[in-house]
Amino acid sequence: MSILSKMKSLAAGVAVAASMSGAAFAQEKINIGFTGPLSGGAALYGQNTLTGLQMAAAEINQAGGIEVDGKTYNFEIVALDDKYAPSEAAVNAKRLATQYNSPVIFTPHSGGAFALQEFNQQDGFILGAYTSVPEMTERGNTLTLRIPPSFAGYVETFVKTSMERSGPKLAMVGGDHDYAKAWAALFKPAWEEAGGEIVAENPMSYNKDTDFYSGVSRALAASPDVMFVGGASEPTALVMRTARELGFQGGFIIMDQAKLDEIDRVINDMSQLENSIGVMPLVSDQREGAKAFVERFTKENNGKIPGTETSYMYTALNAVAEAMKLAGSVDDPKAVMAKLSEAYGSLSPERNPASIDSVDEKGGTNARIVVAYVEGGEIVPVDSVSQ
Amino acid sequence: MNIFFQQVLNGLTLGSVYSLVALGLTLVYGILHIPNFAHGAFYMVGAYISFYLAGSFGLNFWLAMLCSAAAVAVLAMLSERLIFHPLRNAPALHDMIAAIGLLLFLEAVVQAIWGADFHRLPAPYTQILRFADLTAPAQRILIIVAAFILMIGLQIFLRRTTTGSTIVAMAQNREGAALVGIDPVKVSLLTFAISGALAAVAATLFAPINLIFPAMGHLVILKAFVIIILGGMGSIPGAIVGGMIIGFAEAFGAFYISPAYKDIIAFALLVIILSLRPQGLFPSEVR
Repeated sequence: MSILSKMKSLAAGVAVAASMSGAAFAQEKINIGFTGPLSGGAALYGQNTLTGLQMAAAEINQAGGIEVDGKTYNFEIVALDDKYAPSEAAVNAKRLATQYNSPVIFTPHSGGAFALQEFNQQDGFILGAYTSVPEMTERGNTLTLRIPPSFAGYVETFVKTSMERSGPKLAMVGGDHDYAKAWAALFKPAWEEAGGEIVAENPMSYNKDTDFYSGVSRALAASPDVMFVGGASEPTALVMRTARELGFQGGFIIMDQAKLDEIDRVINDMSQLENSIGVMPLVSDQREGAKAFVERFTKENNGKIPGTETSYMYTALNAVAEAMKLAGSVDDPKAVMAKLSEAYGSLSPERNPASIDSVDEKGGTNARIVVAYVEGGEIVPVDSVSQ
Repeated sequence: MNIFFQQVLNGLTLGSVYSLVALGLTLVYGILHIPNFAHGAFYMVGAYISFYLAGSFGLNFWLAMLCSAAAVAVLAMLSERLIFHPLRNAPALHDMIAAIGLLLFLEAVVQAIWGADFHRLPAPYTQILRFADLTAPAQRILIIVAAFILMIGLQIFLRRTTTGSTIVAMAQNREGAALVGIDPVKVSLLTFAISGALAAVAATLFAPINLIFPAMGHLVILKAFVIIILGGMGSIPGAIVGGMIIGFAEAFGAFYISPAYKDIIAFALLVIILSLRPQGLFPSEVR
């Protein structure tokens, strides 16, 4: 399928180029690169992030493209499949940078982003990393934009709220992939420092296991008050359901990779999620930009509900477009990078559903994080819980 | 005691699903003499068809399972006719490449139709059975019971009926079977059909406690390969016992040692058993 779509986009590209060359007011094209999982177990996640970029590009093009330095440019998204493998992400990025001259390359996984950081400054492209690993912006790479806010911001609220509501005994049953390990490494000391106790530590392979029964019952044997879970939403839902089936009554702390609304769609029973804490699902976000985005997306996609990753990617490309205008250049990555913070700040709420107001000097976005808690079968913002 | 029982139940559940998948794989091995890599794709397609029938047409779970088994049986027969039969005189490597090609093709088709999204097949029985202090979700009991009925039925079919015996005969000796008047074309088709149907049933039974997505076949097919090597390539009791061994090793290993080591335990078992019995647990009737 990917070959077919590549051929299609190639053919379309040729056709567009052919028709353009004849036109007097030729519009130039900016190839925005994307490398992410488009097949295999993480294909859905990759597709969701890509959809955000495509939606933003379509809207910008429809509005007439962007005008930089007297020329009008359109966006074209060039997507390559890396099957979630950092090595393939690196190969794809090389190709996107050389063959397509992409000034910005997006990737939705930390492994791929770290691989791209090895050469993005030499090859002269901005790395748009969709990952909330805090280390992403700590390595001194000057052309990295970390699209979502760092997950370090969640830890304190998660620890405080969960311990207050459910109790001090925690079982860690998150995933065993790099991202989950990074989360666990930050979360564990925070929990212990707040006076909690880790009674079981049992990471599981969320993407590879056929069944979570044994792993969960092992964690439950230590009778925890709270369980730390998280990987992709759907397997996370299975882990949580297994825990409830085995009689677990306590609370859940859900790593930000999994989303409460997607978990609920698998379990189909909000009461099973009682006392869970996690990131606020986009669809429950009451802020103006988010609401408008959900409405627009749902209308364009036959009632499908967008996730947070789609809105972040959508916002990111809008910000890149704005930054190019401000910098007066489409191919000077340093100049564009320098204007990103201002660009995010200047976006209207409709184009900024992720509610990001600025980018710090290291390339990380700043956003007001909203945390969700399930209480009485309803998702409520965490501020109102602690009142 | 409850915890121990839960691991037994889990081992039985996993073992039943693995055994069903491995049975189909081992049967087809008798025809192709290579492990059919596309078997994982049959499993996945089976789950999708059940999901589609139960979801879009509101078909009853059992009816959906039957239709899906029939559809995948036809798909398996088609693949035999269109792909493996024309390659019967080619080196085994060609079969292997063709099987991998079929696997990738089916996965891409399913992803093109249903997308990469995770889907769920609603469980037909959501009760949680309780005996004294033992708890067991009904769907898990269902998987075990249905798998055992199917395995016993298959065993009776292969051992007690003439049609079934032709499959065994052909696996043992293709030329010999042809000499006594067994039609190899018919038997090949029948074997593929049974193998496809078994994969579809296993997938449908397992789907309600799991997720349906295009890459779902990879998870079980790898295990099934280990199982048929462990049990002896082409051996039917080997596939059943091997499936149970791997299922139990995973369940108990993950609980009593660590989930991180459960695959290591399964593969270590493979190495130990093969070094003691290189021909597998049940040396097969297949040459």
